[in-house]
Amino acid sequence: MRGEVPSVLKITDLVGYLPLVIFGLVLTYISLHAPNFLTLQSLELIVMQSLPVVLVCAGLAVVVMAGGDDVVSGGIDLSIPATAVLSAGITAQMLTSGMPLALCAVVALAACIVVGLSNAVLITKIGMTPLLTTLAMFVAVVGVNNVITVSRRINVDHSWIVALRAQEIAGIPAGILLVALIVAILFFAAHRTGWGLNLQAAGGSRDAAEISGIDANRLVAQSFVVAAFTGFLCGFFLLARGSGSSPGVQDNLMLEMVLATFLGAAFSPRRVVTLWGAVLGALLVAAISIGFKSIGVNVFWTGLIKGSLIVVVVAFSALAQRGR
Amino acid sequence: MTTRANTLRDVLLRFGFLIVFAAFFVLFAFWNPVFLQGGNLLNIVEGSAILMIMALGLTLIVATGGIDLSIGIALDFGAAFAVVAMSTYGLDWFSAACAGVIGGSLVGIFNAILVVGLRISPFLATLSTFFIGSSVQRIFTNGGGPISYRRMPTEFRNIAQGDILGVPTEAVIAAVLVVIYYLLLERSIWGRRIHAMGMQRPAAIVAGIRVNRILFGCFVFAAMTCAVGGLIAAANIRMFTPLSGFSYLLDAIAAVFIGAALHPRGRPNVLGTVAGVLFLGMVANGLNLMGLNFNTKDALQGIILVSALAFAVAQRRARGS
Amino acid sequence: MADFAVSLKDIVKEFPGVRALDSASLEVKSGEVHGLVGENGAGKSTVIKVLAGVYQPEAGSIMINGQSLNPATPAAVHDAGIRFIHQELHLVPHFTVTESVFMGQELRGRFGIAKREMRRRAEAFLRDNLGLPLSGNRLIRDLGPAERKLVQVARALIDGAAQVVVFDEPTAPLAIEEVDLVMGAIAKLKAQGIAILYVSHYLSEITDICDRVTVFRQGETVGVFDNITAASSAELIYAMVGRAISDMFPARTERSVDTGLSVRGLAAARAFSDVSFEAGRGEILGIAGLIGSGREELTDCLYGLRKRTAGTVSFEGRSLDLNTAAKAVAQGVVLVPRDRRNDGLVLPMSVSENATLATLDRTSRAGLVDAKAAAAATESHITALDIRPPNPDAITRLLSGGNQQKVVLARWLATDAKVFIFDEPTVGVDVGAKAEIYQLIADLAGKGASVIVSSSDPVELQGICDRIIVMMRGKIVDELRASDASVDDLVAATTGAASVQGAAHAG
Repeated sequence: MRGEVPSVLKITDLVGYLPLVIFGLVLTYISLHAPNFLTLQSLELIVMQSLPVVLVCAGLAVVVMAGGDDVVSGGIDLSIPATAVLSAGITAQMLTSGMPLALCAVVALAACIVVGLSNAVLITKIGMTPLLTTLAMFVAVVGVNNVITVSRRINVDHSWIVALRAQEIAGIPAGILLVALIVAILFFAAHRTGWGLNLQAAGGSRDAAEISGIDANRLVAQSFVVAAFTGFLCGFFLLARGSGSSPGVQDNLMLEMVLATFLGAAFSPRRVVTLWGAVLGALLVAAISIGFKSIGVNVFWTGLIKGSLIVVVVAFSALAQRGR
Repeated sequence: MTTRANTLRDVLLRFGFLIVFAAFFVLFAFWNPVFLQGGNLLNIVEGSAILMIMALGLTLIVATGGIDLSIGIALDFGAAFAVVAMSTYGLDWFSAACAGVIGGSLVGIFNAILVVGLRISPFLATLSTFFIGSSVQRIFTNGGGPISYRRMPTEFRNIAQGDILGVPTEAVIAAVLVVIYYLLLERSIWGRRIHAMGMQRPAAIVAGIRVNRILFGCFVFAAMTCAVGGLIAAANIRMFTPLSGFSYLLDAIAAVFIGAALHPRGRPNVLGTVAGVLFLGMVANGLNLMGLNFNTKDALQGIILVSALAFAVAQRRARGS
Repeated sequence: MADFAVSLKDIVKEFPGVRALDSASLEVKSGEVHGLVGENGAGKSTVIKVLAGVYQPEAGSIMINGQSLNPATPAAVHDAGIRFIHQELHLVPHFTVTESVFMGQELRGRFGIAKREMRRRAEAFLRDNLGLPLSGNRLIRDLGPAERKLVQVARALIDGAAQVVVFDEPTAPLAIEEVDLVMGAIAKLKAQGIAILYVSHYLSEITDICDRVTVFRQGETVGVFDNITAASSAELIYAMVGRAISDMFPARTERSVDTGLSVRGLAAARAFSDVSFEAGRGEILGIAGLIGSGREELTDCLYGLRKRTAGTVSFEGRSLDLNTAAKAVAQGVVLVPRDRRNDGLVLPMSVSENATLATLDRTSRAGLVDAKAAAAATESHITALDIRPPNPDAITRLLSGGNQQKVVLARWLATDAKVFIFDEPTVGVDVGAKAEIYQLIADLAGKGASVIVSSSDPVELQGICDRIIVMMRGKIVDELRASDASVDDLVAATTGAASVQGAAHAG
């Protein structure tokens, strides 16, 4: 807790990889019991399943990087899943009334950016805590979306939306390629540009950032807009996955997003939320969910397994931290 | 000109949230006179009872510097243990109520072990408790079907449906808990210690405060409180509905933080939470009486929530500067 | 070339109700190391903020390299080549050295940021300009305090445009051997022709490295000293406080010493081992030692903040269980911690709330806090310790360092504590309040408490303690009686020079 003691032992470095090792062991166990699990088809299924979560995780990672990883006082955006559902809802509603996809997308994007900007203003100008703001925003946006869709499921069969699921380019589903591209761009922006480093500085130590002439508030505001943008994109993948907009997916998406992103921090050598950590977290959580299903574990147990995973991984990560 | 703007600003700052509260009150009263009738005001109080109880438990956890996403699970466990105690084991109503509270305390103990024992951050610890608790309910009820118990003893049903001197029992229970929580958190020596550790934990440790013991106690007590909410929920509909507690989480968090924003130093506090809960209850009730459809009501409620929070926070900050 | 790199003349700065600076002047010659000293509240930080362009003065002139800056904005000051090394570190713990040095001023490459080039330059600058070979890939949180400080310096100077560097208390969190690292870097900067303004409480450092010194008192420049030598300390102190140094420590009096705290064979993993000593009732025992000597860990361990792996502690022959801070307090062992703002006080709470935090049982009825009793108890402490402002409801965050320390002490005086452990009791406390705190420490011993003072300041230890144990590399290596050991003897023992001398004497 207080005075640091220089550690001679390198065991702590090994402990740092334990979270990954645990996941590796669980996945190995699954693949031993379900031979089909490690086939290309099933891996593709896992990735396809996880695409919406990957997108919102990437958005959340950017927000956490800018605001710091203290969940209560730092950066968090719980409203991204609601934004995603809003994006899906607007698009579906407008498509069914015969409007062109491009127009739908523009309107949905505008709506999502409004949500992102509202978060940004409430947090950076008025000074509300992000947890609270985005939670309230989640409720408000879901409410508005339910008004738009009248709380019913809307099926979408627009060829472009279907293509996200069904089209393949060079044998790889177009949706996966598209998300990979988006994630790559976000990764580059967050980890390989001055903007990204400043973003991380703002989250790591606000005082330090401001002393160095970095406008932390502006970066935090930008991060919420980026997050809203990932929510907008996620909406289309929600439409593609379920062939339409359906109410109620936001709750599960929110839980998965938080689980995967903070689990991702346990994978990072610096123990902080990173973009690739969040994406890896999303993929691994999807792999575990599908994996357990494929070896015949009742779906009722999924929550129990996920919850235990958080406990085990985070407890080990804390142990590694303490050993330092 | 400027002085007038200043006085207006001052008035808004001093009574800001009160004005918003009053404005909505007047608006609803004008819209539908039924709103003002004694029976309806009692409805608001009665309808807010469970949320009040949940928000009190959460206030305690937030005051320690943490957060509890699993208060809904404690409610579910409270309801489940009580219903099963009566239906399967044939216990009398009082033993069943005790069983419910004990059931809820298990959730608190689990949280406490994760947070105090394994030193997992409260957010992630209670998130995993939420996952695990939900899963356990699904397994136990084979997928989430309700456990109903039609022949529930009248005494138990009265927890939700009876009244004491004309006041609904659940409102009385909530009021008693408000008093207990107020004394505990704002007036007692334990409350002082809880606030100290919530504000600055290392200093609380050096001051000789047993922070681990307090944290443990708070998680267990908060979960037991939420389990009382579960008893009321079960008594109300004579059944245990799995996973029903989650619906209170967002409103409870909102109420606690509205309350904190009203506090001059931004601390979570019992009276603030009460104000937050009543505000949410009033808005829900008023929008209902406006005859809006379910979806519109929901959307408006969300927007009012965001605005109210923004207003409360802006008020505190402007006052502080 | 201008004679003065920085010249502030007759600066006046007023805040509502206070004149913080009143005809303050400060002139730094090109290529010199210039010291700025003064008590807390003398106006040092205000004048620095005026120089930084953060505050605009009501009157006076600011010249940089002979050019008048009007108005001096932070950007204009930066463009003129003035850099500030703030007292707080302001680094991101999980950033690498390279990322920290280039924070907010990243080099753009063809493809994103130029990582390799930044690392190369950061390492080269640290090595060549500051004398610190350090890998650019190491994380800040793995570095020692002095290394962090130099990373902070590198960040300010990496653009190569610095002409004047202002160091604000750069060595406050450092141990003696680490101070040398920073001093070495400053000497190197001076050799590169950079003028340095050095602000510090530590007069020994000032007299070591400064060519000239300006002294502030109550917002005024009261003296500028040339030809600084080790012997200048007394003069500087006299100018700072307007009285002589002998007032600082209470007069030594003979106190009767009874059996008190007894520590036998105490050990903590990776920190210290086989530590045994006595601190009798009525005695003030000093603990000296550099960072890494186990001194800090020892006080933490005595207070239950660090796990003990062996040994026993007893008081008046009764064994004590000191496994947690709560147990220590319950058994009458209390700690005044070194990090007052983090560990000492709950800053958002009031004086009264903090002062009664350990004795809530006594100011309560049936478990409920009795506000009147608490206020009354606090009032008496405020009077006894002369806490200012004398308001039990004042928020402790807003108090000065010395008054904050008194509130911590008030809290412990309210208990029946018999063993008082002071860890760096006067860090960040101004000279006037220092003397008061020393008097309070002496009073405690006079009333029969066992008092332990752990400090990195040899003058303080020699001045206040009866006996001093010296720690090095996790062991007690020496014990001195303050009455027949000088400050120099103590420094020699602490840094390991004494063993050589001792051997020579013995031989």
